Amino acid sequence: MESRIRILLLTAALLALCGCATVRNWFHHGSSNASAAGDTSQDEAPPRVVEPEVERRKIKVAKIRSSNFELGANYGVLSIEDFGAHPSYGVTAAYHITEDFFFQADVGRSTGGLTSFETLSNINLLTSSERRFTYYDLSLGYNFLAGEAFIGRGFAMTSAFYLLGGFGGTDFGGDTKFTVNFGAGYRVVPVDWLAVHVTVQDHVFQSSLLGTTKLTNNLEALIGTTVYF
Amino acid sequence: MTRRARPCALASLLLLAALLTPVVGSAREYLQLFVTQPYLELHTGPGRGYPVFHVVPRDESVDVLFRRTDWFKVRTEHGVEGWATLADMQKTMLADGTPFKFDLGDRAGFTSHRFEMGIFAGAYGGANYVSAYGSLSFNSQLALEVAAGQFLGRFSNGITGDIGLAHVIAPEWRWSPFLTLGLGEVHTEPKATLVQPADRTEPTAYVGGGVRYYLTRRFFLRAEYKAHYVFTKRNQNEEADEWKAGFAFFF
Repeated sequence: MESRIRILLLTAALLALCGCATVRNWFHHGSSNASAAGDTSQDEAPPRVVEPEVERRKIKVAKIRSSNFELGANYGVLSIEDFGAHPSYGVTAAYHITEDFFFQADVGRSTGGLTSFETLSNINLLTSSERRFTYYDLSLGYNFLAGEAFIGRGFAMTSAFYLLGGFGGTDFGGDTKFTVNFGAGYRVVPVDWLAVHVTVQDHVFQSSLLGTTKLTNNLEALIGTTVYF
Repeated sequence: MTRRARPCALASLLLLAALLTPVVGSAREYLQLFVTQPYLELHTGPGRGYPVFHVVPRDESVDVLFRRTDWFKVRTEHGVEGWATLADMQKTMLADGTPFKFDLGDRAGFTSHRFEMGIFAGAYGGANYVSAYGSLSFNSQLALEVAAGQFLGRFSNGITGDIGLAHVIAPEWRWSPFLTLGLGEVHTEPKATLVQPADRTEPTAYVGGGVRYYLTRRFFLRAEYKAHYVFTKRNQNEEADEWKAGFAFFF
Protein backbone atom coordinates (compact mmCIF):
# COMPACT_ATOMS: atom_id res chain seq x y z
CA MET A 1 0.00 0.00 0.00
CA GLU A 2 2.74 2.31 0.93
CA SER A 3 4.60 1.63 -2.23
CA ARG A 4 1.51 2.47 -4.28
CA ILE A 5 1.19 5.80 -2.54
CA ARG A 6 4.85 6.43 -3.16
CA ILE A 7 4.47 5.68 -6.90
CA LEU A 8 1.44 7.97 -7.03
CA LEU A 9 3.28 10.80 -5.33
CA LEU A 10 6.32 10.38 -7.56
CA THR A 11 4.13 10.39 -10.68
CA ALA A 12 2.46 13.56 -9.48
CA ALA A 13 5.77 15.21 -8.80
CA LEU A 14 7.07 14.19 -12.26
CA LEU A 15 3.98 15.60 -13.97
CA ALA A 16 4.35 18.82 -12.01
CA LEU A 17 7.96 19.15 -13.20
CA CYS A 18 6.95 18.50 -16.78
CA GLY A 19 4.19 21.03 -16.38
CA CYS A 20 6.60 23.64 -15.11
CA ALA A 21 8.83 22.96 -18.11
CA THR A 22 5.95 23.31 -20.56
CA VAL A 23 4.52 26.46 -19.05
CA ARG A 24 7.92 28.09 -18.85
CA ASN A 25 7.29 30.24 -21.92
CA TRP A 26 3.79 31.32 -20.80
CA PHE A 27 5.27 33.82 -18.42
CA HIS A 28 8.05 35.00 -20.78
CA HIS A 29 10.85 33.37 -18.87
CA GLY A 30 12.17 31.55 -21.93
CA SER A 31 11.91 34.54 -24.27
CA SER A 32 13.93 36.72 -21.95
CA ASN A 33 16.64 34.02 -21.87
CA ALA A 34 16.57 33.72 -25.65
CA SER A 35 16.88 37.46 -26.13
CA ALA A 36 19.74 37.55 -23.62
CA ALA A 37 21.51 34.82 -25.54
CA GLY A 38 20.93 36.68 -28.80
CA ASP A 39 22.27 39.95 -27.42
CA THR A 40 25.54 38.62 -26.00
CA SER A 41 27.45 39.40 -29.15
CA GLN A 42 26.15 42.97 -29.27
CA ASP A 43 25.97 44.17 -25.68
CA GLU A 44 28.03 42.33 -23.15
CA ALA A 45 29.20 38.76 -22.75
CA PRO A 46 28.00 36.98 -19.62
CA PRO A 47 30.89 36.74 -17.18
CA ARG A 48 32.63 33.39 -17.44
CA VAL A 49 32.88 31.43 -14.30
CA VAL A 50 36.28 29.92 -15.13
CA GLU A 51 38.73 31.56 -17.52
CA PRO A 52 40.69 28.80 -19.30
CA GLU A 53 44.35 29.45 -18.75
CA VAL A 54 45.66 26.78 -21.10
CA GLU A 55 46.87 28.34 -24.34
CA ARG A 56 46.83 26.16 -27.40
CA ARG A 57 50.39 25.48 -28.62
CA LYS A 58 51.06 26.78 -32.06
CA ILE A 59 53.59 24.59 -33.87
CA LYS A 60 55.63 26.49 -36.37
CA VAL A 61 57.51 23.92 -38.43
CA ALA A 62 60.87 25.57 -39.07
CA LYS A 63 62.47 24.79 -42.39
CA ILE A 64 65.52 22.55 -42.29
CA ARG A 65 68.49 24.06 -44.07
CA SER A 66 70.30 21.66 -46.37
CA SER A 67 74.05 21.70 -46.76
CA ASN A 68 74.85 19.43 -49.68
CA PHE A 69 77.04 21.69 -51.82
CA GLU A 70 80.77 22.21 -51.56
CA LEU A 71 82.69 25.00 -53.23
CA GLY A 72 86.40 25.64 -52.99
CA ALA A 73 89.81 26.19 -54.47
CA ASN A 74 92.93 24.07 -54.68
CA TYR A 75 96.60 24.31 -55.44
CA GLY A 76 99.19 21.69 -56.30
CA VAL A 77 101.42 20.18 -58.94
CA LEU A 78 100.48 18.81 -62.35
CA SER A 79 102.91 16.59 -64.20
CA ILE A 80 102.19 17.01 -67.91
CA GLU A 81 103.57 14.04 -69.82
CA ASP A 82 106.71 15.09 -71.74
CA PHE A 83 106.33 18.69 -70.57
CA GLY A 84 107.42 18.48 -66.94
CA ALA A 85 105.72 19.10 -63.62
CA HIS A 86 104.48 22.57 -62.81
CA PRO A 87 102.24 24.28 -60.26
CA SER A 88 98.52 24.01 -60.92
CA TYR A 89 95.52 25.70 -59.38
CA GLY A 90 91.81 25.37 -59.78
CA VAL A 91 88.32 25.60 -58.42
CA THR A 92 86.05 22.76 -57.46
CA ALA A 93 82.35 22.33 -56.79
CA ALA A 94 80.61 19.25 -55.46
CA TYR A 95 77.09 18.10 -54.72
CA HIS A 96 76.57 15.30 -52.22
CA ILE A 97 73.82 13.01 -53.44
CA THR A 98 73.95 10.41 -50.66
CA GLU A 99 76.38 9.72 -47.87
CA ASP A 100 78.27 7.51 -50.36
CA PHE A 101 78.09 9.31 -53.69
CA PHE A 102 78.76 12.85 -54.84
CA PHE A 103 79.17 14.78 -58.05
CA GLN A 104 82.22 16.91 -58.56
CA ALA A 105 83.13 19.48 -61.20
CA ASP A 106 86.68 20.79 -61.46
CA VAL A 107 88.34 23.46 -63.52
CA GLY A 108 92.11 23.80 -63.33
CA ARG A 109 95.04 25.38 -65.02
CA SER A 110 98.77 24.78 -65.24
CA THR A 111 101.60 25.48 -67.69
CA GLY A 112 103.66 22.98 -69.59
CA GLY A 113 107.44 23.34 -69.67
CA LEU A 114 109.96 22.31 -72.32
CA THR A 115 110.26 18.77 -73.57
CA SER A 116 113.72 17.24 -73.47
CA PHE A 117 113.86 17.55 -77.26
CA GLU A 118 113.21 21.30 -77.00
CA THR A 119 115.84 21.69 -74.31
CA LEU A 120 118.48 19.90 -76.37
CA SER A 121 117.69 21.34 -79.80
CA ASN A 122 116.64 24.87 -78.78
CA ILE A 123 113.55 24.56 -80.97
CA ASN A 124 110.18 25.52 -79.47
CA LEU A 125 107.35 23.20 -80.45
CA LEU A 126 104.63 25.26 -78.81
CA THR A 127 103.91 28.91 -78.23
CA SER A 128 103.50 30.15 -74.68
CA SER A 129 99.70 30.29 -75.00
CA GLU A 130 99.69 26.72 -76.35
CA ARG A 131 101.65 25.62 -73.30
CA ARG A 132 98.78 26.66 -71.06
CA PHE A 133 97.11 23.49 -69.80
CA THR A 134 93.44 24.07 -68.95
CA TYR A 135 91.11 21.25 -68.03
CA TYR A 136 87.59 20.74 -66.80
CA ASP A 137 86.05 17.52 -65.61
CA LEU A 138 82.77 16.17 -64.29
CA SER A 139 83.26 13.28 -61.89
CA LEU A 140 81.31 10.91 -59.76
CA GLY A 141 82.82 10.39 -56.32
CA TYR A 142 82.46 7.52 -53.87
CA ASN A 143 83.23 7.94 -50.16
CA PHE A 144 84.78 5.06 -48.25
CA LEU A 145 86.76 4.40 -45.06
CA ALA A 146 84.79 7.00 -43.11
CA GLY A 147 86.42 7.73 -39.78
CA GLU A 148 87.84 10.32 -37.50
CA ALA A 149 91.19 12.08 -37.37
CA PHE A 150 92.43 13.30 -34.03
CA ILE A 151 94.60 16.26 -33.15
CA GLY A 152 95.72 15.75 -29.57
CA ARG A 153 93.23 14.32 -27.08
CA GLY A 154 90.48 16.85 -27.28
CA PHE A 155 89.86 17.55 -30.96
CA ALA A 156 88.42 15.11 -33.48
CA MET A 157 87.61 15.75 -37.10
CA THR A 158 85.49 13.48 -39.28
CA SER A 159 87.36 12.22 -42.32
CA ALA A 160 86.86 10.01 -45.36
CA PHE A 161 88.71 8.72 -48.36
CA TYR A 162 87.04 8.98 -51.73
CA LEU A 163 87.44 7.68 -55.25
CA LEU A 164 86.82 9.91 -58.23
CA GLY A 165 86.15 9.06 -61.85
CA GLY A 166 84.79 11.09 -64.71
CA PHE A 167 85.31 12.79 -68.02
CA GLY A 168 85.85 16.24 -69.42
CA GLY A 169 88.07 18.22 -71.73
CA THR A 170 91.66 19.42 -71.74
CA ASP A 171 92.93 22.38 -73.73
CA PHE A 172 96.66 21.97 -74.39
CA GLY A 173 99.00 22.35 -77.34
CA GLY A 174 96.47 24.24 -79.43
CA ASP A 175 93.85 21.51 -79.24
CA THR A 176 91.05 20.45 -76.91
CA LYS A 177 90.99 16.74 -76.10
CA PHE A 178 88.35 14.54 -74.56
CA THR A 179 89.80 13.57 -71.21
CA VAL A 180 89.07 10.78 -68.78
CA ASN A 181 90.03 11.46 -65.19
CA PHE A 182 90.28 9.18 -62.17
CA GLY A 183 91.87 9.44 -58.79
CA ALA A 184 91.42 9.37 -55.07
CA GLY A 185 91.34 11.86 -52.24
CA TYR A 186 91.23 12.31 -48.51
CA ARG A 187 88.92 14.79 -46.84
CA VAL A 188 88.93 16.05 -43.25
CA VAL A 189 86.10 18.19 -41.92
CA PRO A 190 87.34 20.25 -38.93
CA VAL A 191 84.05 22.14 -38.63
CA ASP A 192 80.72 21.39 -40.27
CA TRP A 193 81.06 24.04 -42.95
CA LEU A 194 84.70 23.56 -43.89
CA ALA A 195 86.67 20.70 -45.46
CA VAL A 196 90.32 20.23 -46.32
CA HIS A 197 91.12 17.93 -49.23
CA VAL A 198 94.18 16.17 -50.55
CA THR A 199 93.55 14.75 -54.01
CA VAL A 200 95.58 12.84 -56.58
CA GLN A 201 94.11 12.54 -60.04
CA ASP A 202 95.20 11.29 -63.43
CA HIS A 203 94.00 13.12 -66.55
CA VAL A 204 94.25 10.77 -69.51
CA PHE A 205 93.87 11.94 -73.10
CA GLN A 206 95.11 11.06 -76.53
CA SER A 207 97.88 13.31 -77.78
CA SER A 208 99.81 13.48 -81.03
CA LEU A 209 101.89 16.54 -80.17
CA LEU A 210 105.20 14.68 -80.43
CA GLY A 211 104.65 12.90 -83.74
CA THR A 212 102.98 9.69 -82.66
CA THR A 213 99.50 9.40 -81.28
CA LYS A 214 99.54 8.07 -77.74
CA LEU A 215 97.57 8.12 -74.52
CA THR A 216 99.14 10.59 -72.13
CA ASN A 217 98.87 10.35 -68.35
CA ASN A 218 98.96 13.67 -66.55
CA LEU A 219 99.13 13.15 -62.82
CA GLU A 220 98.08 15.90 -60.49
CA ALA A 221 98.39 16.24 -56.72
CA LEU A 222 96.31 18.95 -55.07
CA ILE A 223 95.61 20.33 -51.66
CA GLY A 224 92.46 22.35 -51.36
CA THR A 225 89.81 23.71 -49.09
CA THR A 226 86.07 23.81 -49.61
CA VAL A 227 83.12 25.40 -47.89
CA TYR A 228 79.84 23.51 -47.42
CA PHE A 229 76.57 25.31 -48.01
CA MET B 1 100.43 48.56 -43.13
CA THR B 2 100.88 50.09 -46.56
CA ARG B 3 98.14 51.87 -48.43
CA ARG B 4 97.64 48.99 -50.82
CA ALA B 5 97.66 46.30 -48.19
CA ARG B 6 94.91 47.93 -46.14
CA PRO B 7 92.07 47.50 -48.71
CA CYS B 8 93.30 43.95 -49.32
CA ALA B 9 93.09 43.15 -45.63
CA LEU B 10 89.67 44.78 -45.45
CA ALA B 11 88.48 42.79 -48.45
CA SER B 12 89.76 39.53 -46.99
CA LEU B 13 88.07 40.34 -43.67
CA LEU B 14 84.80 41.00 -45.50
CA LEU B 15 85.19 37.73 -47.39
CA LEU B 16 85.79 35.89 -44.13
CA ALA B 17 82.75 37.58 -42.63
CA ALA B 18 80.67 36.59 -45.65
CA LEU B 19 81.86 33.00 -45.33
CA LEU B 20 81.09 32.90 -41.64
CA THR B 21 77.69 34.61 -41.90
CA PRO B 22 75.59 31.51 -42.64
CA VAL B 23 77.16 29.74 -39.67
CA VAL B 24 77.36 32.46 -37.05
CA GLY B 25 74.24 34.35 -38.09
CA SER B 26 71.98 31.34 -37.91
CA ALA B 27 70.30 32.42 -34.68
CA ARG B 28 66.86 31.51 -35.99
CA GLU B 29 64.42 29.06 -34.59
CA TYR B 30 65.19 25.42 -35.27
CA LEU B 31 62.73 22.62 -35.71
CA GLN B 32 62.20 20.81 -32.42
CA LEU B 33 61.53 17.08 -32.53
CA PHE B 34 60.72 14.63 -29.73
CA VAL B 35 62.13 11.14 -29.50
CA THR B 36 59.38 8.49 -29.42
CA GLN B 37 61.55 5.37 -29.82
CA PRO B 38 63.46 4.07 -26.78
CA TYR B 39 66.42 6.22 -27.91
CA LEU B 40 67.85 8.19 -30.83
CA GLU B 41 71.42 7.40 -31.85
CA LEU B 42 73.80 10.25 -32.63
CA HIS B 43 76.82 9.65 -34.87
CA THR B 44 79.96 11.78 -35.00
CA GLY B 45 79.57 12.38 -38.75
CA PRO B 46 77.01 12.18 -41.56
CA GLY B 47 77.56 8.56 -42.54
CA ARG B 48 76.95 5.04 -41.23
CA GLY B 49 80.72 4.56 -40.87
CA TYR B 50 81.03 7.23 -38.20
CA PRO B 51 80.63 5.86 -34.67
CA VAL B 52 77.65 6.38 -32.37
CA PHE B 53 78.81 8.53 -29.46
CA HIS B 54 75.58 9.58 -27.76
CA VAL B 55 71.96 8.52 -27.41
CA VAL B 56 68.98 10.75 -26.75
CA PRO B 57 66.41 8.98 -24.50
CA ARG B 58 62.69 8.79 -25.22
CA ASP B 59 60.62 11.97 -24.66
CA GLU B 60 63.63 14.26 -24.84
CA SER B 61 63.79 16.72 -27.69
CA VAL B 62 66.40 17.67 -30.27
CA ASP B 63 66.77 20.82 -32.36
CA VAL B 64 67.43 20.12 -36.06
CA LEU B 65 70.29 22.38 -37.13
CA PHE B 66 70.65 21.37 -40.80
CA ARG B 67 70.71 18.39 -43.16
CA ARG B 68 73.42 16.83 -45.30
CA THR B 69 72.21 14.06 -47.67
CA ASP B 70 70.23 11.61 -45.48
CA TRP B 71 71.66 12.89 -42.22
CA PHE B 72 70.44 15.57 -39.83
CA LYS B 73 72.72 17.52 -37.53
CA VAL B 74 70.83 17.84 -34.25
CA ARG B 75 71.42 19.42 -30.84
CA THR B 76 70.04 17.84 -27.69
CA GLU B 77 68.53 19.69 -24.73
CA HIS B 78 71.92 19.36 -23.03
CA GLY B 79 73.77 20.96 -25.92
CA VAL B 80 75.29 17.77 -27.39
CA GLU B 81 75.50 17.96 -31.18
CA GLY B 82 75.54 14.92 -33.44
CA TRP B 83 74.20 13.36 -36.62
CA ALA B 84 71.02 11.28 -36.86
CA THR B 85 69.80 9.35 -39.90
CA LEU B 86 66.67 10.23 -41.81
CA ALA B 87 65.27 6.75 -41.02
CA ASP B 88 65.61 7.41 -37.26
CA MET B 89 64.39 10.99 -37.53
CA GLN B 90 61.19 9.84 -39.22
CA LYS B 91 60.32 7.99 -36.02
CA THR B 92 60.33 11.25 -34.02
CA MET B 93 57.38 13.60 -33.62
CA LEU B 94 56.71 17.31 -33.62
CA ALA B 95 55.75 19.17 -30.44
CA ASP B 96 52.03 18.84 -31.31
CA GLY B 97 52.31 15.05 -31.44
CA THR B 98 52.21 14.60 -35.21
CA PRO B 99 54.91 12.39 -36.70
CA PHE B 100 57.83 14.10 -38.43
CA LYS B 101 57.82 13.54 -42.18
CA PHE B 102 60.55 14.55 -44.59
CA ASP B 103 60.26 14.27 -48.34
CA LEU B 104 63.42 13.43 -50.25
CA GLY B 105 61.59 12.58 -53.46
CA ASP B 106 59.77 9.48 -54.68
CA ARG B 107 58.26 7.78 -57.72
CA ALA B 108 55.29 10.17 -57.70
CA GLY B 109 57.76 13.03 -58.03
CA PHE B 110 59.45 11.23 -60.91
CA THR B 111 56.11 10.95 -62.68
CA SER B 112 55.24 14.61 -62.21
CA HIS B 113 57.73 17.38 -61.46
CA ARG B 114 58.65 20.89 -62.54
CA PHE B 115 62.40 20.90 -63.30
CA GLU B 116 65.06 18.42 -64.42
CA MET B 117 68.82 18.74 -64.77
CA GLY B 118 71.46 16.26 -65.80
CA ILE B 119 74.85 15.54 -67.34
CA PHE B 120 75.79 13.12 -70.09
CA ALA B 121 78.72 11.50 -71.84
CA GLY B 122 78.42 10.12 -75.34
CA ALA B 123 79.18 10.59 -78.99
CA TYR B 124 78.28 13.35 -81.43
CA GLY B 125 78.97 12.70 -85.12
CA GLY B 126 81.65 10.19 -84.14
CA ALA B 127 83.38 12.56 -81.70
CA ASN B 128 83.43 12.26 -77.92
CA TYR B 129 80.69 14.33 -76.38
CA VAL B 130 80.06 15.89 -72.98
CA SER B 131 76.75 17.62 -72.38
CA ALA B 132 74.31 18.94 -69.82
CA TYR B 133 70.61 19.71 -69.99
CA GLY B 134 67.82 21.40 -68.09
CA SER B 135 64.11 21.02 -68.55
CA LEU B 136 60.91 22.76 -67.52
CA SER B 137 57.80 20.55 -67.43
CA PHE B 138 54.42 21.97 -68.39
CA ASN B 139 52.70 18.78 -67.24
CA SER B 140 53.78 15.21 -66.57
CA GLN B 141 54.14 14.52 -70.30
CA LEU B 142 55.34 17.72 -72.02
CA ALA B 143 58.54 19.60 -71.22
CA LEU B 144 60.72 22.32 -72.68
CA GLU B 145 64.37 21.27 -72.80
CA VAL B 146 67.59 23.20 -73.21
CA ALA B 147 70.88 21.35 -73.75
CA ALA B 148 74.47 22.39 -74.32
CA GLY B 149 77.44 20.21 -75.13
CA GLN B 150 81.02 20.05 -76.27
CA PHE B 151 82.27 17.49 -78.78
CA LEU B 152 85.94 16.66 -79.08
CA GLY B 153 86.93 14.60 -82.11
CA ARG B 154 89.84 13.70 -84.32
CA PHE B 155 88.80 16.03 -87.15
CA SER B 156 86.99 18.78 -85.34
CA ASN B 157 85.98 20.15 -81.98
CA GLY B 158 82.93 22.21 -81.26
CA ILE B 159 80.00 23.14 -79.09
CA THR B 160 76.30 22.52 -79.54
CA GLY B 161 73.19 24.15 -78.17
CA ASP B 162 69.64 22.79 -78.46
CA ILE B 163 66.19 23.92 -77.44
CA GLY B 164 63.14 21.76 -77.97
CA LEU B 165 60.19 19.85 -76.65
CA ALA B 166 60.17 16.46 -74.99
CA HIS B 167 57.12 14.24 -74.83
CA VAL B 168 57.18 11.57 -72.13
CA ILE B 169 55.07 8.68 -73.40
CA ALA B 170 54.41 6.94 -70.07
CA PRO B 171 55.61 9.12 -67.19
CA GLU B 172 54.38 6.66 -64.55
CA TRP B 173 56.64 3.81 -65.69
CA ARG B 174 60.01 3.24 -64.05
CA TRP B 175 61.49 2.71 -67.52
CA SER B 176 59.90 5.74 -69.08
CA PRO B 177 60.37 6.38 -72.83
CA PHE B 178 60.21 9.82 -74.39
CA LEU B 179 60.46 11.58 -77.77
CA THR B 180 62.17 14.89 -78.54
CA LEU B 181 61.97 17.48 -81.29
CA GLY B 182 63.73 20.82 -81.54
CA LEU B 183 66.16 23.30 -83.02
CA GLY B 184 69.73 24.20 -82.25
CA GLU B 185 73.08 25.50 -83.32
CA VAL B 186 76.44 23.88 -83.73
CA HIS B 187 79.77 25.70 -83.69
CA THR B 188 82.47 23.62 -85.36
CA GLU B 189 86.20 24.20 -85.21
CA PRO B 190 87.84 21.94 -87.80
CA LYS B 191 91.40 20.88 -87.06
CA ALA B 192 94.04 22.66 -89.08
CA THR B 193 94.96 19.69 -91.26
CA LEU B 194 91.59 19.64 -93.02
CA VAL B 195 90.72 21.48 -96.22
CA GLN B 196 88.25 23.89 -94.64
CA PRO B 197 89.94 25.24 -91.53
CA ALA B 198 87.50 28.13 -90.93
CA ASP B 199 85.29 27.90 -87.86
CA ARG B 200 81.60 27.84 -88.66
CA THR B 201 78.31 28.19 -86.79
CA GLU B 202 75.31 26.51 -88.34
CA PRO B 203 71.65 26.03 -87.41
CA THR B 204 70.40 22.55 -86.73
CA ALA B 205 67.16 20.69 -86.19
CA TYR B 206 66.78 17.42 -84.38
CA VAL B 207 64.40 14.59 -83.72
CA GLY B 208 65.10 11.93 -81.17
CA GLY B 209 64.01 9.67 -78.39
CA GLY B 210 65.24 7.99 -75.29
CA VAL B 211 64.43 6.41 -72.02
CA ARG B 212 64.55 7.48 -68.37
CA TYR B 213 65.03 5.05 -65.52
CA TYR B 214 64.08 6.04 -61.97
CA LEU B 215 66.86 5.25 -59.49
CA THR B 216 65.92 6.57 -56.06
CA ARG B 217 64.72 9.74 -54.32
CA ARG B 218 65.10 12.51 -56.91
CA PHE B 219 67.54 10.77 -59.22
CA PHE B 220 67.24 8.94 -62.50
CA LEU B 221 69.34 7.73 -65.42
CA ARG B 222 68.66 9.01 -68.86
CA ALA B 223 69.85 7.75 -72.24
CA GLU B 224 68.90 9.28 -75.54
CA TYR B 225 69.50 9.51 -79.24
CA LYS B 226 69.13 12.63 -81.38
CA ALA B 227 69.35 12.77 -85.18
CA HIS B 228 70.65 16.26 -86.00
CA TYR B 229 70.23 17.89 -89.40
CA VAL B 230 72.86 20.60 -89.89
CA PHE B 231 71.80 23.31 -92.37
CA THR B 232 75.11 24.27 -93.96
CA LYS B 233 75.95 27.01 -96.47
CA ARG B 234 77.57 24.40 -98.67
CA ASN B 235 75.89 22.31 -101.33
CA GLN B 236 74.71 19.59 -99.01
CA ASN B 237 73.23 19.59 -95.58
CA GLU B 238 74.85 17.32 -93.04
CA GLU B 239 73.58 14.82 -90.56
CA ALA B 240 75.06 14.09 -87.17
CA ASP B 241 74.02 11.36 -84.77
CA GLU B 242 74.12 12.09 -81.05
CA TRP B 243 74.14 9.22 -78.57
CA LYS B 244 74.46 9.89 -74.90
CA ALA B 245 73.73 8.51 -71.46
CA GLY B 246 73.91 10.19 -68.11
CA PHE B 247 72.61 11.00 -64.71
CA ALA B 248 69.83 13.45 -63.90
CA PHE B 249 67.68 14.68 -61.07
CA PHE B 250 64.31 16.41 -60.75
CA PHE B 251 63.03 19.03 -58.36
